[in-house]
Amino acid sequence: ETKSSAATSSQMFHSDGGEMEPETMEIKSVSEFFTKLHMGSVMNRQ
Amino acid sequence: MDTSGSVVSTRAEEQSFHVRYRMEVSCLELALEGERLCKVGDYRAGVSFFEAAIQVGTEDLQVLSAIYSQLGNAYFHLHDYVKALEFHRHDLTLTRTIGDLVGEAKASGNLGNTLKVIGRFDEAVVCCQRHLDIARDINDKVGQARALYNFGNVYHAKGKSVCWSGAEPGDFPEEVMMALRKAAEFYEANLEIVKDLGDRAAQGRTYGNLGNTQYLLGNFRKAVTSHEQRLLIAKEFGDRSAERRAYCNLGNAYIFLGEFEVAAEHYKRTLQLARQLKDRAVEAQACYSLGNTYTLLQDYERAIDYHLKHLIIAQDLNDRIGEGRACWSLGNAYTALGNHDQAMHFAEKHLEICKETGDRSGELTARM
Repeated sequence: ETKSSAATSSQMFHSDGGEMEPETMEIKSVSEFFTKLHMGSVMNRQ
Repeated sequence: MDTSGSVVSTRAEEQSFHVRYRMEVSCLELALEGERLCKVGDYRAGVSFFEAAIQVGTEDLQVLSAIYSQLGNAYFHLHDYVKALEFHRHDLTLTRTIGDLVGEAKASGNLGNTLKVIGRFDEAVVCCQRHLDIARDINDKVGQARALYNFGNVYHAKGKSVCWSGAEPGDFPEEVMMALRKAAEFYEANLEIVKDLGDRAAQGRTYGNLGNTQYLLGNFRKAVTSHEQRLLIAKEFGDRSAERRAYCNLGNAYIFLGEFEVAAEHYKRTLQLARQLKDRAVEAQACYSLGNTYTLLQDYERAIDYHLKHLIIAQDLNDRIGEGRACWSLGNAYTALGNHDQAMHFAEKHLEICKETGDRSGELTARM
């Protein structure tokens, strides 16, 4: 959409076709990995 | 027997092991601090720690993959998409090399999201497909749902990226409508899974974006149904930002259904929440929408009240385009009331702003 102060009716009521939900990024956690590793070695000792 | 040689070599090995061990610990500590900082939203500081962790290095490729991935995500949140792309690519290459399928699926998902943001939709589709294929192969329902949501977002963004200057929802070129219909299909497929999984947060996100897709397709009743679901879920979680978005999107849909009073009520809730959240830009947009809605209802006194509120915020935010729009709307409302002095004052102010911002179409409108 071109930004002009002479707004069309769609520009009057929405910005960029409605407000979107956030993206879901995949998380790879170092702390989770570390905890699993630690738990694994504790379990192995037992 | 001469044992001095083997003693020296054992010591050297011990020393080397000790150095490597210290490096691993340092790298891990730096990465954990980077992770903590990103969790609290300090992505800039998080990036510094992750980059320091890479400098120290690690032989643990799972840790390295997590660092690449989180660096990519941090840069994504900082809107540095070139860097985000670089690290998500490193992560993808690494996970493929070590045969980590789950890791590859995640890297593909993140890469797809980044490619979508920079408008490289065809490449984004390939990444989404890989994410989906792996999730299906390993029977990972959560992964499948996430891939389908990302797919929907790619087609939604693709539809919106095509220039549809001034066209109204439901009246876009066929290319746009096709992309939007595909987006809706992917969101529906995602909903089937997340409903089975009982994942309400994921349902909320999908209903929000499905509502926007239906709105752009011109299916305003369906848009209302989706946004009402989004609103319900936002309230369940006490998520006021999502609640505000849903009210605003509902207001937009009711405008196109011709139910202006209902739209005004939804915009008023948007305004209340924007004030609670101290989001001045959204507050300005809500005032502008309310001003326009009362203009449609021919209640020009109220329309002027909201357009003046919009004008004040636009001036505070130094938003010249917003200021120009407020002046244009005020000029129209005063004309409708027969107050020609005020109408002329705002029309002149509008013209002045258009000249300053180089807004040719606004300038032509102002001269009329």
